[in-house]
Parts: sequence; structure tokens; C-alpha cells
Amino acid sequence: MSRQRPQILLLKLGVISVLISAISFPVAIQSASPFWVLLFFTYWLIYAQARAVYTCALLLGLLLDLLQGNIFGQNALALIISATFILNVKKSFYVSNLSTQQVYVFVSSALYLLITLCVHIATQGFDFGYLVFLAPLTGAILWPVVHFFLAKLKH
Amino acid sequence: MRLLKPLLPALIAIILIVLDARFSYLDNLKRNSNTLLSPIYFLVDLPSQISHWVSDKGSDTEQLISENEQLTNELFELKAKLQIYNNLVLENQKISQLVDASYTLPSNTVRLARIKSVSQSRLKRQLVINKGSNDKVMLSQIVLGASGVVGQVIQSSPFYATVQLATDPTQRIPVKNVRNGARGITKGLASNESGMRVDFIPVASEIKLGDIFVTSGIGGTYPPGYPVGEVADVVSPQNEAFLLIKLKPLEEMNELEFVLVVSESL
Repeated sequence: MSRQRPQILLLKLGVISVLISAISFPVAIQSASPFWVLLFFTYWLIYAQARAVYTCALLLGLLLDLLQGNIFGQNALALIISATFILNVKKSFYVSNLSTQQVYVFVSSALYLLITLCVHIATQGFDFGYLVFLAPLTGAILWPVVHFFLAKLKH
Repeated sequence: MRLLKPLLPALIAIILIVLDARFSYLDNLKRNSNTLLSPIYFLVDLPSQISHWVSDKGSDTEQLISENEQLTNELFELKAKLQIYNNLVLENQKISQLVDASYTLPSNTVRLARIKSVSQSRLKRQLVINKGSNDKVMLSQIVLGASGVVGQVIQSSPFYATVQLATDPTQRIPVKNVRNGARGITKGLASNESGMRVDFIPVASEIKLGDIFVTSGIGGTYPPGYPVGEVADVVSPQNEAFLLIKLKPLEEMNELEFVLVVSESL
């Protein structure tokens, strides 16, 4: 694998995930939908020879914050914390079967949700729909599909 | 050591969160960055634009003639209503002069905008419209639908603007009951897709199902007199000072295609 390839793959994944995140869905689906950027970023962390991981997480998160009109840094912080978890279990994640990978994705998505909600509660109060708690579950359920399509994209 | 690496980026993110939430230092940066992100909205909106274009091209002449007739009729009706409105404005001015009142009907200008997307964030209820600061759509301007208040502009870049819906849990609108003038403040319900509640209306107030609430104009953020919602449920709890009122928005947020952005000259 050439030195540039992981960054090109990240660029591709970043563009696709940001585009998916910008699509508008009905409120219920939007609330329960997975953290697309996290799923795509997880794939990049595991299957590419990723470098400058945390800087990339910061930039991608800030891009998402701008796009969604969130508090600047909210998604960035969540993505950095989730990336830290994924990197800590990277070796195990890589050799695991899909169902074990789904558990890791669930945990990283739950961390992402926790950070996002903490920032939201601290800045805007306890005002959110409870469907957001489904996001880690839908992320874990959809991981095999995302994995399949991203593997096709990578090759 | 491995855990130290994310410390600096995480610290930067936390500093940015504090700067954005507590101060307005990042507003210019966000506005300029949003301009650069316009192509993303263009790409996301492309399928719907193509579908509109195909649908427009596909309309046959008969359909267009029929639509044209219908719109002409509606225009006549609206012109007739406008005459009544103009009379009301004149009467209001006369009465205001007579009683030396400071309140007059505001003269507002409106801009038509098309909705590009609705709610891209799971924690916020907002929509993006295709008019921005180039079309003089500015921060905190009120946005209306055909039936009532839609929300308020919270972000404006040259080509588009983001509108926070009246049903967002963080959006609060000072309102009053049209029938008896009881004043309160609306707040979006976090658990309900399109509901609101009205806070701070005393238990002694007489609120009925179907009562209409309009903007009261208190605070100066929202101009007075725009319909917000109708009462869907009223509960008078024991040992509580205020009524629990649920409001159903007059505007169906999910079916909106066009909105009016009001720039008021209060």
C-alpha cells in the first residue's frame, strides 16, 4: 500500500459519510440513525494504515459540526474519544468476526452518543428525544452492511 | 503514552465547545466556513432539484393552463383580502393617533424561500432554505409558512440559511391567547415530533381546547400577531401554579415546500 492511499481512502469515506449525514430524513429515522461518520471512520482506522488519526478525527468532526449547525467541537470531541477506544481494541477488532465487531461498534457508538449528549445537556439543557438512544444499536446492526460496501469501495 | 496522543486534539475540541457555547468569537469563522460548505448542500439537494426539473418538464399544457387559472383566482381573492387588511392598517393608525398609543401594526417585507433540507441533526429541529445573506436573510429573522410561524433564522451564509423550527426544544416564543390575551412562552416538546407546550400560564386562566396562540411580541425577537399553534390539551394540575398546555403547531413542518422570511421594521 502506498503512503498516500490511506489519506485518499479517508477523503473518499469522509465525503460519502458527510453527504449521507447531510441528507434529511423524517425526525424519527434521523434520531435513530447510526453515526455514519463514526462507522466510516472506524473502517478507516481498522483497515487502512491510518496516520494522524486524532487530527483527522478533529477535522472531520468539526466539518460535521459546521454542516449540522451543532456546537462547534461537539462531534469532534465525540469522534476523538470513540477513535481512542477503537485504536485500543484495533488488533482484536481486526481479527474478530463480524458479530464481535458489532459489539465494538456498539460500544464506540455509545461513547460517541454519551459525549454528544453531555455537551448538548451542558450547553442547551436536557431537551432531546429518547429515540437517540437507539443510534448505537442501529450502528451495530448496520455495521456488516457498511463493512461490505466499504470493502468494495476500498478495492 | 497511547492515551496522551488524543489529549491535545480533545483539548482543542473542548476549548472550541466553550468558545462557541459561551462566547461569539467563532461566529465569523463559522459563517465563512459555511459558505465553503455550500457545494455539499448543492450535491445533497441535486436529486430533488432534478426531480423538480423533470416534473416541471413533464407537465402538459392543459395542466399548466388549469394551474394558471387557479392561481389567477387565488390572486384575486388575496387582492380582495389585502384591501381589507389595508383598511385595517389605516383604521389602526387613526385609532392609535386618537388614543396616542405607541403600538402600531408593523410594516414587514417578506422574501419567498424554498426548503432545501429538513433536520440533518438528531438533537435539533431545523431546516435549510435556499436564501442567505446575499438575499438579505439575516440572523434571528422570523420564518413563516402559509398557516403560521415556522421558526427563526439561526445561521445565514451567502447562499443559504438555517432555520430553527418553533418545535425545537430549545426554541422559546412569547405568545398570547387570541381569545383572552393570556400570555405564556412556548417550548418544543423533546419527545413529540411536532408538539409544543405553553409555560407560565396561571391555573386561574381560562384556556379552552382549540384556542389559538399568536406571538405576543414581548422581548422584541418575534413581531406580534403571527399564529403559532392551537391548544390540543389542557391539564390543571393540583398544587401547581401553572397550567399544563399542549399546543399543536398550525404549520405542518414536514409538508413545507416554501416559506416566507420576514424582515420586520418594527
